[in-house]
Amino acid sequence: MALKLALPAGQLARPTDELLRRAGLTVRGYTDGSRSYRPDLDGRRDVFLRVFREKDIPIQIALGNYDLGICGLVWLKELLTRYPSEAVVQLRALPLGPSSLYVATASDSGLTSLDGLAGVPGLRLVSEFPNLTEAFALSARLPAYRVFSVSGAAEAYPPEDADLAVVAASSEEEVQAQGLRPLYRLLVGSPWLIAHRHSLEGKDLSTVLGPLMALEGGRQPEDGLELPSALAGPPRPPLATGRPATTVRLALPDGHQQPSAAAILRAAGLSCQGYDEQGWVRRPRPSLEGLEVKVIRPQDMPQQVALGNFDLVVSGRDCLMEHLLQFPGSPVEEVVDLGGGQFDLSAVVSEDLPAASLAEAVELWRRRGVKVIRVASEFPAIADHYARQNHFWRYQLIPISGASEGFVPEDADVLIEGVETGRTLAENKLKTIDRFLHSTTCLIASKRQPPPGKAELLSQLIERFRQVGSSAPAADR
Amino acid sequence: MVEESPRCRGMRDLLPADMARFRRVEEVFRTACLAWGYQEVRTPTIEHLHLFTAAGTLSPQMLGRVYSFLDWDGWSGERVVLRPDATIPTARLFVERLQQEKLAKLFYIQNVFRFAEGDEPREGWQCGVELIGDTQPRGEVELILLACQTLERLGLGPVEVRLFHPGIVRSVLAQAGLERADQVRVYDRILDGDLTALAEVEERLPPLGAPLRLLFEGEGAGSAYLANLGSAFQKAVPQMARPLEELATLVDTLSALGCRCQVAAALVGNFEYYTGSVFQFVADGERVGGGGRYDGLIALVGGPDVAACGFALDVAKLARLLPSAEEAIPWQEAVCVRPASERADVVVTAFAAIGPLQQLGLRTEVALVRDAPSACRWEVTVKPSAKGIGYSLYDRTKKRRQAFAKLDDLLAALEATGGGS
Repeated sequence: MALKLALPAGQLARPTDELLRRAGLTVRGYTDGSRSYRPDLDGRRDVFLRVFREKDIPIQIALGNYDLGICGLVWLKELLTRYPSEAVVQLRALPLGPSSLYVATASDSGLTSLDGLAGVPGLRLVSEFPNLTEAFALSARLPAYRVFSVSGAAEAYPPEDADLAVVAASSEEEVQAQGLRPLYRLLVGSPWLIAHRHSLEGKDLSTVLGPLMALEGGRQPEDGLELPSALAGPPRPPLATGRPATTVRLALPDGHQQPSAAAILRAAGLSCQGYDEQGWVRRPRPSLEGLEVKVIRPQDMPQQVALGNFDLVVSGRDCLMEHLLQFPGSPVEEVVDLGGGQFDLSAVVSEDLPAASLAEAVELWRRRGVKVIRVASEFPAIADHYARQNHFWRYQLIPISGASEGFVPEDADVLIEGVETGRTLAENKLKTIDRFLHSTTCLIASKRQPPPGKAELLSQLIERFRQVGSSAPAADR
Repeated sequence: MVEESPRCRGMRDLLPADMARFRRVEEVFRTACLAWGYQEVRTPTIEHLHLFTAAGTLSPQMLGRVYSFLDWDGWSGERVVLRPDATIPTARLFVERLQQEKLAKLFYIQNVFRFAEGDEPREGWQCGVELIGDTQPRGEVELILLACQTLERLGLGPVEVRLFHPGIVRSVLAQAGLERADQVRVYDRILDGDLTALAEVEERLPPLGAPLRLLFEGEGAGSAYLANLGSAFQKAVPQMARPLEELATLVDTLSALGCRCQVAAALVGNFEYYTGSVFQFVADGERVGGGGRYDGLIALVGGPDVAACGFALDVAKLARLLPSAEEAIPWQEAVCVRPASERADVVVTAFAAIGPLQQLGLRTEVALVRDAPSACRWEVTVKPSAKGIGYSLYDRTKKRRQAFAKLDDLLAALEATGGGS
């Protein structure tokens, strides 16, 4: 059986590629712009390589889907803090440069140390690393805290929308450059080479293990996590949110939705310094008085509306559905279909599966004795709902953070994925068997009655967006 | 890798024999509580996580094992938990609903959920008692007697009561100049058997009359042992006097009431949680429950400064330890009603007989599967006869069969032979 090695995508990909070369392992199709997630090692058939988002690598190793993997210590601890697993063995730290996780507050918050948090109820913590953040809050014995898991841009939230952000950075200076003040270093460490215990005990991994273990440098302690002691202090009043009551707050998306959102903004006659088709800053300055704008991840926007942090957000219908399926009672709704950013949420399977529809695929899996259908998706609530609605019977939901086209067929039977043209699917030998939700960019607002101080401006803004929505070409809606 | 068993790991099915044992434990516990003037309550399975996160409620180790999640309306970011402990929800219930009462005597039989590795149980059942109000020291005496009575009535006596007091070690650590957070850390190290922690503490104290480890390693049979501890340590640690005195009062009272007590003085888990005496109940050499005084708890969950103490017994453990005689189900004192044919009027007559038979106080069953044997002492066969439908009563213990034309006659005969109460 081939040795299976999981490699990181993203920022760690290039240094990892160079490290593998230094160890004498030449990988083709990894960092040379290929859209495939299956590079190869010197054309060898006994080694199977697969590129994942870093966050997914420890999960794949813990599941036993891969024998070896390389990922940052922070993602490893993020998994193991919540789900301790003896199946993951830390083999060695790799000389790829350390990274840290900091608990930080807004630079102008007045907080200078963790002691200032003792006895403060209702603290709002935001992070891409919710499990480590939860461990921090429990260890510090924060009373009645709330942890908001975001898919990125945690640094954008304090002080208005969170009291603390738990962020990854290479140094305190990097945290400060994001407008935050580091209060505590929660974790420090380099990326690690990890293995699945059973593979280590019973499979010859020496082809990859030998050269990597022989590399010089990078030795570090296994843990790296430094949880704080309980913070002692008398009960104190909650921190002020710092949000003006009469300002209308609008959130705009970063990432691939940003250019189309900028065009929509321009069409609505809302000029915004620091947010256009060419680029963006976290806090753009709108020309309209009484309006405040912040740029965050579109996936996190519906929850921010539900919390009352933002009045309006420009996001995708897929993000809204994901939120509403997770929290059906959430008071958010789509108020304008803005067109643009179109794609279909679809069920995707291997090109080789002889099925043209979902019903045929489910029937085929049953006939073949597939006991558990593996469903991978970046939209776990939608995928879960879809599997239930379509009577998958027993299924395993695999929440993933990206590089999704590589999961089928080895690591999942079906992928619930946004499909636009289908070109990337074809390149990865996949096909769509069911398109079930048409998603476009939309304006999302709260169902609650707005306070009198902002109702007028809010309805003016919605009307401007509505005009953009109704003038968008039919094909875009 | 998805597990093969359709049952979740760490979760247990209870078969009829298990349930009979569980119910026996619950019944004895419930009867004892009601007799002592306690009232039953039940709290929800799901509670807010923050109820358990305040310092002094659950230990960080325990918090790391709770089943917490975002509810369907959890967009506010507030997590909820499957109840990991029953005392804290009962304290919450008191604060929310019963605060006006000067003394609340409550008991419950509830399940709790905590993650455990491998196949260790992740769902437990507790028979618990909470005594909320200023009851020190009589409250502890009552609780211990109630627990011992329950265990003895289950046939698990003699019960050994092990007594501790976290105030003893707290006084030592405070005398050593350690802040509260450091006290917890050092205490955890000592519990883990880290002898260097003991040495570090000892260095910070005035000269002691005996090595500090004696406080942690030794145990004794009663107030004499406590007096010895006082002689050895009290001069250097004057704050130790009060917890020693509290323990001595408790030990003296319980011993006079015939309770077997063993004093271990210092070592006890949940150091942050308890404020006074802590007790454990040992039956058949196994720890089956415990409790103690936690005077700070009601205030920690948002209530007034009211004292509280309580205990909980592990139902699953007790059910397992029950003597085997308790297992027998008195099936032989039941009646099986068997329709002799599938004729509709015969089947109707058979089912119609069940109510009157149950009114005699008898357990009944209808023979649902034709020709399947029954373990009941009596068997009533319902069959067509020349005059309509008749009954035949067979008493297995006496090996005697009687025929009846009317059900009333059969019932009278059954009553005469001791069937029914």
